[in-house]
Amino acid sequence: MPEYKPQYYPGSTLPSKNRRKYLDPEYKLQKLRTISDDDLVRIMGHRVPGEAYKSTHPPLEETGEPACPIREIVTPTPGAKAGDRIRYIQFTDSVYYAPVTPYVRAWMYHTRYRGVDVGVLSGRVPLEARERDLEKVAKELVETEIFDSARCGIRGATVHGHALRLDENGLMFDAYRRYLFNKKTGEVDYVKDQIGVPLDKPISVGKPIPETELRKRTSEFRIDGNAFRDDKELISWMQRIHMLRTIAGFDPEKVKGI
Amino acid sequence: MKKYKDVVDLHDDHGRLVASNIPVAALSPLVNPAIQKIVAYVKQCVAVNLQGVQTALTTGEVGGKWSMLRGRSTKVDLVGNAEAVARDLKETLQVKPKDDTEVKVLKEGKNLLVTVPAARLNAGVEYTTSATAVAAGLCHVVIDKFNIDMWDADLVHAAVWGRYPQTMDMLGGNVVSLLSVPQQNEGMGYALRNVLAAHIAMITRKNSMNAAALSSILEQTAHWEMGDAMGNFERFHLLGLAYQGLNADNVVYDIVKENAKTGNLGDCVKSTVNRAIADGVIRPLEKTKSGYTIYTTNDLNKWNAYAAAGLMAGTMVTCGAARAMQHTPSVFIYFNDLLERETGLPAVDWGRVAGTGVEMSFFSHSIYGGGNPAVFNGNHIVTRHSKGFCIPCVAAAVALDAGTTIYTPEKLSGVVGEVLSEVPELREPLKYVNEAAIKIKGEF
Repeated sequence: MPEYKPQYYPGSTLPSKNRRKYLDPEYKLQKLRTISDDDLVRIMGHRVPGEAYKSTHPPLEETGEPACPIREIVTPTPGAKAGDRIRYIQFTDSVYYAPVTPYVRAWMYHTRYRGVDVGVLSGRVPLEARERDLEKVAKELVETEIFDSARCGIRGATVHGHALRLDENGLMFDAYRRYLFNKKTGEVDYVKDQIGVPLDKPISVGKPIPETELRKRTSEFRIDGNAFRDDKELISWMQRIHMLRTIAGFDPEKVKGI
Repeated sequence: MKKYKDVVDLHDDHGRLVASNIPVAALSPLVNPAIQKIVAYVKQCVAVNLQGVQTALTTGEVGGKWSMLRGRSTKVDLVGNAEAVARDLKETLQVKPKDDTEVKVLKEGKNLLVTVPAARLNAGVEYTTSATAVAAGLCHVVIDKFNIDMWDADLVHAAVWGRYPQTMDMLGGNVVSLLSVPQQNEGMGYALRNVLAAHIAMITRKNSMNAAALSSILEQTAHWEMGDAMGNFERFHLLGLAYQGLNADNVVYDIVKENAKTGNLGDCVKSTVNRAIADGVIRPLEKTKSGYTIYTTNDLNKWNAYAAAGLMAGTMVTCGAARAMQHTPSVFIYFNDLLERETGLPAVDWGRVAGTGVEMSFFSHSIYGGGNPAVFNGNHIVTRHSKGFCIPCVAAAVALDAGTTIYTPEKLSGVVGEVLSEVPELREPLKYVNEAAIKIKGEF
């Protein structure tokens, strides 16, 4: 029996390969920019930098826990241990070669981070976790190659824009104009937090990634780039799953060695 | 029932081996005496909130929220006389002396746990007999014992039965059964699925392994009643119950343990695949050009059982690490998504769990209303689609929550969970079902 090696995702085209890469926690995401902890806290808008974490219940040490064999062995995250509130960071990814698609975000969050709650909606992907755990994760999400300052938006509300044309500076539409292109620096500045509350001072999230580079990093299938239909391997995998689900729904005993 | 060759090793909630090579058929609700006892208790046991009746009589606040009969008040010390009330209620309910009727006084008289004799249920066709018998019996006891006059008898009725019969159920009443009234069941055989995850967590006193077991017993037993676990699908449900709910072969506990300190959901997916390969449930079929290996199996039902056990472990690791219940729908979708992409085999319940997760995430994250996972059950409009594989995970997650929700399981469950947790078979089902399976193993 050959040794099992995690494989994450089928497919032979570039988006499939990138998906495999992003899903694999052994792959270290490339850091492209630095955002200070305080600035990230400001953009998320849940607390003021330096402010103590608010709690939803007392620390576990104080309350004690019910007798449960699973609680005995599963270590709580630092945020859970302290009783932090559950907070969120939410991203909108443009259909124009954003590094990750909404579903890839969900998959990679679950392969890379512990104790996180993620959901995919039509134009947004919220990630929820205990506050201090969230801040740690959010740092990697904004500082690395899976974020582009022009094609990804940190948006808590009014998220619309992922499927709209880009503006003259290549930025994804945002009805709240949370971020602006700074012509002097060539960088994108957040002037409002993710909900849309104005910030005291702009926060730069760096230069947009050039289009050619984005096309190399993207995990999106596009008819004008890497079309989904071109990935025969992925399509046959998908057809296989549909076939097996259907046969199994009729009679699971009929699926043998196929 | 068909004959099945499958045997499993039984383990307790701490992952300790209890017995080896037990026929999986011994865990079937059709034959396992403990499961049948659990189902009987669910039908026969009723919780009475005696303090609630007393308060309702004193204040005139009867029949649910914002419903008060001003000027109506009858002062009766029910709590102080709980022992005497219990004795009289027992006499009223008993069919024969020394039958299985029981009335237990709990919390210094505030609550009663009533076991209605099976003879009363056998004399009818509906499980509602228990609630109606106790409610009616209690009214008679209170009226007789405390000399309530004719003009206040209606208040006693309202304090006990709530707004019924203006409502379908006993809205605001103080006699509660674990089962909802039949009119609230979504279809035939749904009765055992119509139990809030909050009740399960409270009955098992937040022991997540027992919460998973009790929920799985109720969910999967319902599938026999619904007509699902029949013919080719019986083994699908039998193995699902054994592996996901009852920790057969210790798959659930092992995967949790493997990922308990630092693991995440993706790691639980890998552990599941690893275990399935090691146990010979799946094997490589072919390699594609990109190097991706497609797996296959000769036993899809067993693969489903392993995947369902992995799903349970993934829930316990994810919700356990966060000590929060809200992650369950996310686990439902992405555990299955990742597992299918990892193997090329259909995931739990052939995709129905993933689909259920999509709906449940909307209704458990304040997007389209709904509520936290503790209010969900297998009869719920957005969670009924999985064939018994979702709600056990929800119940386990609710048990692992450290208090992140506004509506806590304690608040949602009220007296039912607390009172029924006094029944050992309901509180620790894993232990009793295992013991019963060992006793009858020779029959297969």
